[in-house]
Amino acid sequence: MISRVAESCFWLQRYVERMDNTARLANVNRAFVLDVDLSAVQQWWPVVVVVGEQDRIKEHLSEEQLQEGDAIQQYLTWNEHNPVSIASSAQWARENARTIREVISLEMWETINAFWHWLRGGPGRRLYREDAFAFYSRVKEHAAMFQGTCYNTMMHDDPFVFMQLGMVLERAGWTARILDVKHHMISGDLVSPLGAAQLMALLRSCAATEPFFKTAHEAPTPRRVVGFLLLSRKFPRSVIHCMLRARDLLAQLRPATGATGERSWMMLTALLDDLERMSVEDVFERGLHDELTRLIDSIARTSAAIHEDYFDPSPEVLELAIRQREAESAR
Amino acid sequence: MADSGGELNPKALNERTPLEAVPDQGLFRQYEPLAGAYDELFGANGRPREATAQVIARINALGTRAFKERQRLADGSFLRAGVTFSVYSERKGVERIFPFDLIPRMIAAKDWDRLERGLIQRVVALNHFLRDIYTDQRILSEGIIPKELVFGATGFRPELMGISPPSGTYIHVCGVDLVRAPDGRFLVLEDNARSPSGVSYVLENRAMMKRVLPRVFRDSRVRSVDAYPARLLSALTELAPHGVERPKVVVLTPGPFNSAYFEHSFLARRMGCALVHPDDLFTHDEHVYVKTTGGPEQVDVIYRRIDDDFLDTEVFRKDSVLAVPGLIRAYRAGNVTIANALGNGVCDDKAIYPYVPRMIRFYLSEDPLLDQVDTLICAEPEDAKRALADLGSYVVKAVDASGGYGMLVGPTSTREQIAEFTKRVADNPRGYIAQPLVELSTCPTWVDGKLGPRRVDLRPYVITGDSTWVLPGGLTRVALQEGSYVVNSSQGGGSKDTWVVEEGA
Repeated sequence: MISRVAESCFWLQRYVERMDNTARLANVNRAFVLDVDLSAVQQWWPVVVVVGEQDRIKEHLSEEQLQEGDAIQQYLTWNEHNPVSIASSAQWARENARTIREVISLEMWETINAFWHWLRGGPGRRLYREDAFAFYSRVKEHAAMFQGTCYNTMMHDDPFVFMQLGMVLERAGWTARILDVKHHMISGDLVSPLGAAQLMALLRSCAATEPFFKTAHEAPTPRRVVGFLLLSRKFPRSVIHCMLRARDLLAQLRPATGATGERSWMMLTALLDDLERMSVEDVFERGLHDELTRLIDSIARTSAAIHEDYFDPSPEVLELAIRQREAESAR
Repeated sequence: MADSGGELNPKALNERTPLEAVPDQGLFRQYEPLAGAYDELFGANGRPREATAQVIARINALGTRAFKERQRLADGSFLRAGVTFSVYSERKGVERIFPFDLIPRMIAAKDWDRLERGLIQRVVALNHFLRDIYTDQRILSEGIIPKELVFGATGFRPELMGISPPSGTYIHVCGVDLVRAPDGRFLVLEDNARSPSGVSYVLENRAMMKRVLPRVFRDSRVRSVDAYPARLLSALTELAPHGVERPKVVVLTPGPFNSAYFEHSFLARRMGCALVHPDDLFTHDEHVYVKTTGGPEQVDVIYRRIDDDFLDTEVFRKDSVLAVPGLIRAYRAGNVTIANALGNGVCDDKAIYPYVPRMIRFYLSEDPLLDQVDTLICAEPEDAKRALADLGSYVVKAVDASGGYGMLVGPTSTREQIAEFTKRVADNPRGYIAQPLVELSTCPTWVDGKLGPRRVDLRPYVITGDSTWVLPGGLTRVALQEGSYVVNSSQGGGSKDTWVVEEGA
C-alpha cells in the first residue's frame, strides 16, 4: 500500500483513540474532584500533564483561568490551539479519514463524519454546556462505534493493520503516562484516604476498575494497580497487552514487505523482552518514575521507527530497492 | 430548427391529454415558464412536453409537502456522506454541499441520440487536432487555422512537440459544455479538454434520486449512468504504454485541500485504483514509481487532476509544490500514459473554439452535427472593431479563463463594468472573444418554497479509449438566482440529475 496512506491509517486510529482517552480522563476527573478536597489546579493539572500540554496551555490561558477547572476543561475539550484537544483530535481524525476515503469503508467514513458534524455544530456544544458527563460519554461512544465499525467492515489487510497499530501504540502511551503522572501518589505502599481515591480514579481512567477487581479479588494497593496496568496480559489497556498486539501486527506486515520494517521490529521486540521479564518489585525498586519514563520513551521510539520504516522511506532506500529489483529480474 | 423538443400542438393536447391528472393542483400548479427562453420540461403552451409528461405527472402527484421533505432528506444525506466541495474564497476548511435540486432535467432519448453523435464527432476531431498540432501541423500549413492563434494560446506547449501518446489520444475525458437556445437547439459553449470535473456529482445525484424518489424513478425509463467508472478504467487501461500487460493505474490529485478532492477520491474508489498525491510519486531512470510500504512500485497510467503547469518542475513552473520531477521525461520516453494528455489547453482556448467546425470538416470530411455560439475573435481586427463598438450587448470572455471568472455579461452589467472591459479588450485583443448572449434554457427548480424557472446548462462526459463513449445525460448545472446566467458552482450554482428518458417513459 502507498506509504502516505499507511501513515494516514496509523494516525486516523491514533486520533480516535486519543479523543476517547481524553474524554475518559475528563469524565473520571470530574467525578474524582467531587470526592476530594483539592484546589482546581491540583484537580486538573495532572490531566494537563498527561496530555503533555503543560507548556502550551500557559500561552493560551491567563493566570486566573489556570485556576479554574472549567477553563482547563474547555481547553482540553475545545481549544483549537491545543493539538490534542478532543475537537482537534476529531478534526484530524476526520481529515485523515477524508484523505483516505478510498481506503476506509463507507460506514467508517459516515461514522466519523457524522460525529465531526455533531461536534462542530450546535448539538455537541449544547450538550457540553448542559451535561458535560453525557457529552464525554457521547465522545467515547462515537470512538467505540468507529473502532467497532472499522473492525467489522474493513478488510483485515495492511491498511487495517496500520490502523490497529496506531491504536495500540497510542493506548499504551496513555496508560503509561497516566501512571507516571500519579507516580508520586502511589510510590509508597501506604494508602491514605486521598491515595485510595487516587487509585480508584487511576483504575477508572484506564477503564480498569472492574477488570482489576475481577482479577485481583483484593483491595487496590499501588503495587497491585501498577502491576495490573503494566503487566496484565489479558487486560486490553495494559502496556504489555498493547505491545504484544503491536508485535502481532508488525509480524503480519513483515512477510509482505521483505527487508523493510527491520528497525521497528528490533525496537519493539527489545521493548517486549524487557516487559516480559519485568516484575512489579523490580519496577518499584528501580524507581517507578524512571521505569515509566524509560517505557514511554521506548514506545515513542517504536512509533518513530515505524514511521521511518514504512511511511517515509528516504530516496536512498527507494533507489536501492529499485536496483535490487532490477538485479533480480536480470537474473 | 434542429430540435422541437417534442412540443405538442394544442389540438393533440385537447384530444389526448397525456396529463389528465395534472396540474390543477400539485407541485407544478403555479409553474410559469420564463418568456423568451426554452423550458426543458414545459412547452410554450405551458403544458409539459410530451416526452416527459408522464414523469412530471408522477413528481407532481407527490404534492408540495412530501417534495419538501425529500429535498431536506437529500440535503442532509449529502452533508452526512460528505459529498461536498470546499470554496476557495471562504475560510479554509469550509465545506459546502453542491446545492442539489430534486426536479430532474429531462432529455428525450431521440434528442439525446442526436446529441451523442455530435459529441463523439466533435471529440474525435479535437483529438485529431491535438495530434496534428503536436506533430505535423497540417491544419496550420494548409491555412485552416491561423498559426499565430495556436502558437499564442496559453495552453499550447511547444515543449511537447513530437510526443505522441498511445493511439494518438489526448482527450481521454472531455466535458463539453452545452447550452440550449430559445429555438431548442443545443449549442456548444466550450470544450474542456483538460481536467473536466463534476462527474462524481452526476453519479451521486443519481444515487440520491433513486433513494429519495424511488417510485418516480422506477416508473420512468431513465438511462443508467453507473457504467462511467468502469468505462473510464477501461479507457485508461487500453491506452497504457505499449506492451504493459496489467497496467498499474493511479489517480493523481493535488491533495485534500483541492476543491474537487471528493471527486478524485470518489473516482479512485469506484475504479479500485490508488489515489496518489504528488509526493507519493517519484521518477527513476525515466520510469514513474509510487512509494509503498513494500518498496517502490512502477506506475503505468496516471489519471491526473493537476494542471500541466504544475506537473513537472523540470519543464514547467519551477515553483510548483505539486510536481513529480522527471515526469515529462518518462512521458516522452513512452513509459507512462498521462490522461488527459499534456498540452490539451490549446483546444480550450476560446479563440480556437470558433475553428472547431472547420477542424471537423478538415479531419473527418463531415459536416458538424452540433452547432455552436457565433463568436467574435477579438484577435481579428474586424471582429474586435465590431465587438468594441457595442460591448454592452455581448458576453465577453477571457480566452484562457474558466469557471465563470474573467467574463462580462454585457446586458446585465453596469456602465463601469462595461467600460472596464472595453479597456481590457482594447489593450489585449488576443486575450478576448465576444459572443451574443444566449438566452439559456430553463428548468423548473425549487427555490424559496416554490418552483420557478431557472437557467441551466449541460456538461456531458465523453470518454475515449479504443473507442469513444458518452455518458448518457451528464451534469446539469442550474443558476439558482432568479434571472442569473451564471451556473458555476463557485458562483452560487446548483445541480440537477439529468435523465435521458426512453420513449413511453
